[in-house]
Amino acid sequence: MTILGPVSTGTSGTAAQAPTDWVRALSVPGPEKEAALFRLHELLVHAARRQVARMREQLRGTADADDIANQAADDAMVAILGKLHTFEGRSRFTTWAYKFAIMNAAVQVRRQAWRGCDVPLDDPDLIVERAPTPEAYAQGRDLATALATAIAATLTPHQRRIVVALLIDEVPVDVLAERLGTSRNAVYKTLHDARVALRADLRAAGYLPTPSESP
Amino acid sequence: MTERRLTPEIIRRFTVDGEPWLSCDDCFARVDEYVDRMLADPDYDSPAMSAHLRGCGACAEEMATLLDLAARDAGVDPQPVLPRLGRWCQG
Repeated sequence: MTILGPVSTGTSGTAAQAPTDWVRALSVPGPEKEAALFRLHELLVHAARRQVARMREQLRGTADADDIANQAADDAMVAILGKLHTFEGRSRFTTWAYKFAIMNAAVQVRRQAWRGCDVPLDDPDLIVERAPTPEAYAQGRDLATALATAIAATLTPHQRRIVVALLIDEVPVDVLAERLGTSRNAVYKTLHDARVALRADLRAAGYLPTPSESP
Repeated sequence: MTERRLTPEIIRRFTVDGEPWLSCDDCFARVDEYVDRMLADPDYDSPAMSAHLRGCGACAEEMATLLDLAARDAGVDPQPVLPRLGRWCQG
């Protein structure tokens, strides 16, 4: 029999209790499993709503935040039940479970925010921004010029398109991955490799400290 | 050819130190343990996780919510680790 303990989250307004052994409660058919499924879904909706609330300013007026949160929680529930055997107890079960709802909600908000928007994947002309003082302008201009030169000379056209979309146009990594028909991992790897190459160029030119000089 | 401005903030984004390498999938796999351990010990760190969260705004944005929820569950004040979170979320 599964022992039910007190609710261990900040969610209020429900009488549902959380099992002390979530994996067992969710694995053995019966009333405890039904109660655990119900409670888990409540927690996932709560987590998804928190993520949607954090990103609310990205949503346009027509987007229904509750729909996004509920869909994210439903998708998370399916993922969690499918991966239950992989939970190793390295964290609280609820912390492990929340991350599925949070990621699903975040991805949905980003997709919604960029729905119907073009993602410019061009090779831009980089302009150095003016700084408020002549000294800052001179320092910033030198670094910006060195960076623009490194971007043009060191990065491949594919890397340039990716870094400009992510870092200047602020296209979210998962939206960009979806538009390119690839994965978030692959896009982030391209960004990472580009940064490594740019930092090496800037370090060699004296604009960044070498590792031994870093604090 | 379109034009883009290299502002100080844009330059910071380009030069973020994302080493040592960690993928988004590996970050997702480890983030729950990372958050709980950080809440239990504010001095706890994982260089690869920290580097990834500095470099990946999406993962940092998601981790911020997870930290908030996990802190409430644990009855722990997340304040000691929030300064680090602020830096990551600029990624």
